[in-house]
Amino acid sequence: MGLAEILAPSGREYFALFEQAGANVLRAADLLDQMLSSYPDRRELASDILVCEHEGDRITHDLIHHLNQTFVTPIDREDIYRLAGALDNIVDYTEEVADYMGLYRVEAPMAQAQQMAKILHRSCEQIAEALPLLRGFQDISQHTIEINRLENEGDRLTREAMAALFDNGIDPMVVIRWKDLYERLEGAIDATEDAANIMENIVIKNR
Amino acid sequence: MLAGSSEQHASSASAPPPPSRPKLALIDRDGGFMQVLARRLDERGWDHTAVASAITPEALVRMRLSALVLDVALVGPDCWSYLESVCTRLPTLPVVVCTGPSSVAQRVRGLRLGVDAWVTKPCHPEELICVVEAAMRRHRRMELAVLDPPTVAGELMIRHELHQAFVGEISVGLTAREFEILAMVVQSDRVLRREEIYERVWGYAMAHGDRSVDVFVRKLRQKLRAASPGWDYIHTHFGVGYRFAPLPDPSFVSSDEPVAQPQATRSHLVYTGPPAD
Repeated sequence: MGLAEILAPSGREYFALFEQAGANVLRAADLLDQMLSSYPDRRELASDILVCEHEGDRITHDLIHHLNQTFVTPIDREDIYRLAGALDNIVDYTEEVADYMGLYRVEAPMAQAQQMAKILHRSCEQIAEALPLLRGFQDISQHTIEINRLENEGDRLTREAMAALFDNGIDPMVVIRWKDLYERLEGAIDATEDAANIMENIVIKNR
Repeated sequence: MLAGSSEQHASSASAPPPPSRPKLALIDRDGGFMQVLARRLDERGWDHTAVASAITPEALVRMRLSALVLDVALVGPDCWSYLESVCTRLPTLPVVVCTGPSSVAQRVRGLRLGVDAWVTKPCHPEELICVVEAAMRRHRRMELAVLDPPTVAGELMIRHELHQAFVGEISVGLTAREFEILAMVVQSDRVLRREEIYERVWGYAMAHGDRSVDVFVRKLRQKLRAASPGWDYIHTHFGVGYRFAPLPDPSFVSSDEPVAQPQATRSHLVYTGPPAD
């Protein structure tokens, strides 16, 4: 890295890594959506989601490594760090859902979980489309508004799904398993909103 | 003929098979008697649950009991309608009434409603256990008598005692849960709601949105289709549940058969036997 790049950074590496993270987030959410909508026929997709989780860790590591190597960053260091963490959280929660479906020996999906995975997938599509716009600090409001709307829908679904678990006479094992899984799905959807808020912050600060 | 083939399957016992260890529910408030009875049941290795108030028939279904012992005094004046609903909902459950002194008319009324035996307190716990065992034996004999002849539906032969279905001599390879679902839908000539199937097979209420029944019916269908490709057995009623009716699959063309001629397209409406191999 030359002195010019250190003093007047183009930030190409950061933006390229964020775009990779966006594609990775979208791939993980797409795989989870496919896995749940066809569950239990395509359980093996959990191992592909695990690959995404490793890839997410690699990208986060590279971003932090760059951050430690660079004196001047194209955007606030704090924002880079927070956005990397939020994107990583999405993949982590997604991978946990896929993994716990196997660990908890879930035999069949819940319709609400399938709907939540679809919401997560759509939210990740918005993130993957918004991240390249960060290069020119372009307007991403249409994406963040949609992500917020999806997050609200996810919250409503989670509450309904949780309430349904506490109807009379339901197997306590079903309650334990699905309460945990719903919380993780909600965590993944919430993480997409965190990422959207950070992206919005970056654009506002740098326009 | 089609109606005949779909009617053949209607038969016999409705409750899921009881667990290998007998499970007894005792609805009684007599603490001392319950204590001595519980000790003797423990010695025999029986599972038992003492309850101090009446349990709904739906809850009894979920408990998957081997027998029920009930003091009708606990239920009060509603005891007759309660006994009737329990005996109607769970015809294969042995029910023994163990209560204080009663009139002949009361005992006759209880027995006519479907109670298996009426024991008057005070009684020895060993005597009560023997009466329960006798009632269980009687029910088992009745079940075996009913279950002995295999159920034939389409190309399927359902052997309840083996917990398996066969096409010819070849096993369909059903798991225990798949077989329980098949046995349940086979015994019914109406559409069974998903919730009903779940409650009977899993023994719990179905959570809203749970796709377990759909997943297991899908697996069951795949196995049935592989073993008996010319037939459709389980039909979906969207938004409701499933119905069992063995019907030849009109879209099925055996690899050994020539391509169907136009005049043969309605042949499935006048069914004359299973498709040729």
